Amino acid sequence: MEFLHFAFYFGLVIFLILVISKAIKIATAPVHLRWELYPVAHEKGKAHYGGSYLEEFEWWTKPLKKDLLGELWTMFQEIVLLKGVWEHNRSLWFGSAPFHYALYLYIASTLLIFLGLIFGVTPDNVDFQTSWFPQFLNILLWLASILGIIGAIVLLFKRIFDENLRLYSNPSHYFNILLIGMLYVTSLVWLLNSENAIGEFFGFYKSAFTFSSLPEIPVIGYIHLYLLSFFLFYLPFTHMTHFFMKYFTYHKVRWDDEPNFPNSKIRKRLMEQLNFPVQWSAPHIGADGRKTWVVIATSPLPIKENKNG
Amino acid sequence: MAEKRKVRISDISNPNIYPLAEVGPNNTIELPPPYDKLENLPGFKKLSESARQAVDDSLDGVVAVGVPKPKTPEEEQELVEKFISGLIKLFSKENNWTFLQPLLLTMEHCAKCQTCAEECPIFEASGYEEIYRPTYRAEVLRRLYFKYVKPGSPLLKKFQVGDIELNWTLISRLIELSYRCTICRRCAQACPIGIDNGLITHELRKLFSQELGIAAKELHEKGTVQQLLVGSSTGMTPEVVKDNVSFIDEDLSERLGIKVESKWDVPNADYLLIHNAGEFLSWPENPAAFAILLDAAGIKWTYSSELVGYDGVNYGVWYDDFQLARVAQKHFEIAKKLGVKGIIMGECGHESKSMGIIAERIFGNEIKTINAMTLVEQIVFSGKIKFDPERNNFPVTLHDPCNIVRLMGIVEPQRRVLRYLAPKFREMEPHGVENYCCGGGSGFAVMTPYNFLDWRMHISGRKKFKQILDAFKDEPPGPEVPKYVCAPCSNCKGQIRDILDYYGAKEKSGIYYGGLVELVVNAMVDLKEPFIDFSMM
Ligand code: SF4
Ligand code: SF4
Repeated sequence: MEFLHFAFYFGLVIFLILVISKAIKIATAPVHLRWELYPVAHEKGKAHYGGSYLEEFEWWTKPLKKDLLGELWTMFQEIVLLKGVWEHNRSLWFGSAPFHYALYLYIASTLLIFLGLIFGVTPDNVDFQTSWFPQFLNILLWLASILGIIGAIVLLFKRIFDENLRLYSNPSHYFNILLIGMLYVTSLVWLLNSENAIGEFFGFYKSAFTFSSLPEIPVIGYIHLYLLSFFLFYLPFTHMTHFFMKYFTYHKVRWDDEPNFPNSKIRKRLMEQLNFPVQWSAPHIGADGRKTWVVIATSPLPIKENKNG
Repeated sequence: MAEKRKVRISDISNPNIYPLAEVGPNNTIELPPPYDKLENLPGFKKLSESARQAVDDSLDGVVAVGVPKPKTPEEEQELVEKFISGLIKLFSKENNWTFLQPLLLTMEHCAKCQTCAEECPIFEASGYEEIYRPTYRAEVLRRLYFKYVKPGSPLLKKFQVGDIELNWTLISRLIELSYRCTICRRCAQACPIGIDNGLITHELRKLFSQELGIAAKELHEKGTVQQLLVGSSTGMTPEVVKDNVSFIDEDLSERLGIKVESKWDVPNADYLLIHNAGEFLSWPENPAAFAILLDAAGIKWTYSSELVGYDGVNYGVWYDDFQLARVAQKHFEIAKKLGVKGIIMGECGHESKSMGIIAERIFGNEIKTINAMTLVEQIVFSGKIKFDPERNNFPVTLHDPCNIVRLMGIVEPQRRVLRYLAPKFREMEPHGVENYCCGGGSGFAVMTPYNFLDWRMHISGRKKFKQILDAFKDEPPGPEVPKYVCAPCSNCKGQIRDILDYYGAKEKSGIYYGGLVELVVNAMVDLKEPFIDFSMM
């Protein structure tokens, strides 16, 4: 096995293990108390002004209707248009948008390469000089690289020269931008230097997934793929995991408006949680490490009123 | 003049920087005349020497909680140790299942893009003081979480979030800082990732209360503790509240020429009505208007004279999960005992949210809760009562209480009522779920220790005052035309009362305030005398 293969497998495996385990950890965290924030995108007919089913008199006598299309539309605007940043932080959007679009395009081109490998559209059986598919991939990667470099430069400049950002930035922030920026710089140089860069990308992924020997790749290709492997390994350790955690911040917190009906799943989980033993030390809590949450919350206050207070 | 050095996150533990930030009246949010001259406004009260000796004012020269200064190094150390143990509990599922998931999400995924910063009315009104930036206190907690709770290499953690020194100064300042945010969650609404810096304030307050036993006196000792032991955070016992209410009934019956009759512990009533008990003391017309309206609509309702049963306040929602649950449990238990169909929650935002959705998650929704906005809308449009909207022919604007609107999504019912019954109704800008907090949120409206009132008026309440003034900018500016700010929440009313008094807005501009139900009753054809009498407000 080539060392590049090893680095790539290592990065990919760590990425998958950590992303999946983090997602499981947060998905199985206890049901929290309601803390929604309006507008809630699935409120049918009401989401556009931020209304909720609680506006209905005796809402529990009416069916709760969810607007899944509305939810999808809101997600689309957030993911594709970066609407929140556009509305609340326009100057950052001009860095953040190309930065994110570049990632989307890069991921899309990688997925297409996988599809090509699965369906046999590879340099071995298709003429990559004339076929539209590799040309299309070529365009995607060009766009990704250029947008990525622009985004990284804008974001880096903003972090360095805007004091509001600089004061709250840590070494990791600069490192992350530089790392991702370098990923695009190397892909751009690769595209510039090699007539058959797309074919070489194919070759690398094919060899990686068929455990065969590495085809010929230029030095810049090696650098790019090592950086990519490192990025895969490193990403789950950073706040950039927001790319999937955003699902939870929106669906499980901001938009979580589920009532606690008898026999519901929520009710079952809550019954378990109410029986957790509590250790808080303040005297008015009255915990001893054995008494459960619900016992404490339903017992009389274990302190007397301070008449001098 | 050299530009002021901005406060860094790590400065919070440096006792030599005193105070960490200097805050005072400023014109970052410009008000129109006659409120534009800072020199005409009262400044911040200076703390007395004895107060400064006794409590720590090193955050910003303002004191809301008043952390006693330590007498010995051992005392300092003890606080630090207790804090660490509380910090660990805050991130354990047994002790903090109630908010662990959103807390972890917020701790781990902030991109530090500062998109949230512009949305905070406190940060803006302070002249953009760093310590009030929504991410400032979150960053302090984040560094502490990485350092003391999250496993991993210390070097990597420093690289990721930076370091911080934990000492008495940091904790004391953080306690005060957790009372410089109204938990309005406007910042969270703007965050593209879904990070919630308002939640951080909430969780910090919980850590301090549940582990260290430290909280704002008005919320804890005078608030939930008094409510659970005496019956109400106002200090009213059942006997006193019944006395007061019967006095209000008599007084208003005489003035209005119709019978105002409050009912207590009625068996077989359909609904238990629970107001924020502050209404009985400060705005008795509000419960009276409810009584008139419910009777006119033929609703069978009752008050409860059991301890806690006549006070819908639940300050626990802002600082302590257990106090929240204890108070809410009492409310539900009393309703069950009375055998009512449900609880009508008066015009109080945090009562509505704590009982209607937060406690509902804890105790289930067998006891139904009805918020005042939807109930009033239902009655107004039921056709059972005749109204003459011309009786409300004065300018009216609406304040959106954060708890009811941004945090419960109850936006339109109160507007439909106002569009029908208040011909001169106009919106504030922005409004609805994008509203600005009154500045008294998270309990501030009942907090006036030391010089905290000055801070509330100049910093947390300034944006709302500007919004109110702007809403009436097309009206004659003087007091000749009375203008009505409809604030359907007791807590917001307290803050708006204080703002209008502080800036002299009643005398200078004729701005008055009140609830929603008063406007509704004022428009009732059956009433011979106007219910709203500006000369008595
Ligand atoms: S809380 Fe959200 S908006 Fe604010 S800095 Fe963090 S990621 Fe950006
Ligand atoms: S919750 Fe409100 S007051 Fe607190 S930081 Fe956010 S915007 Fe500011």
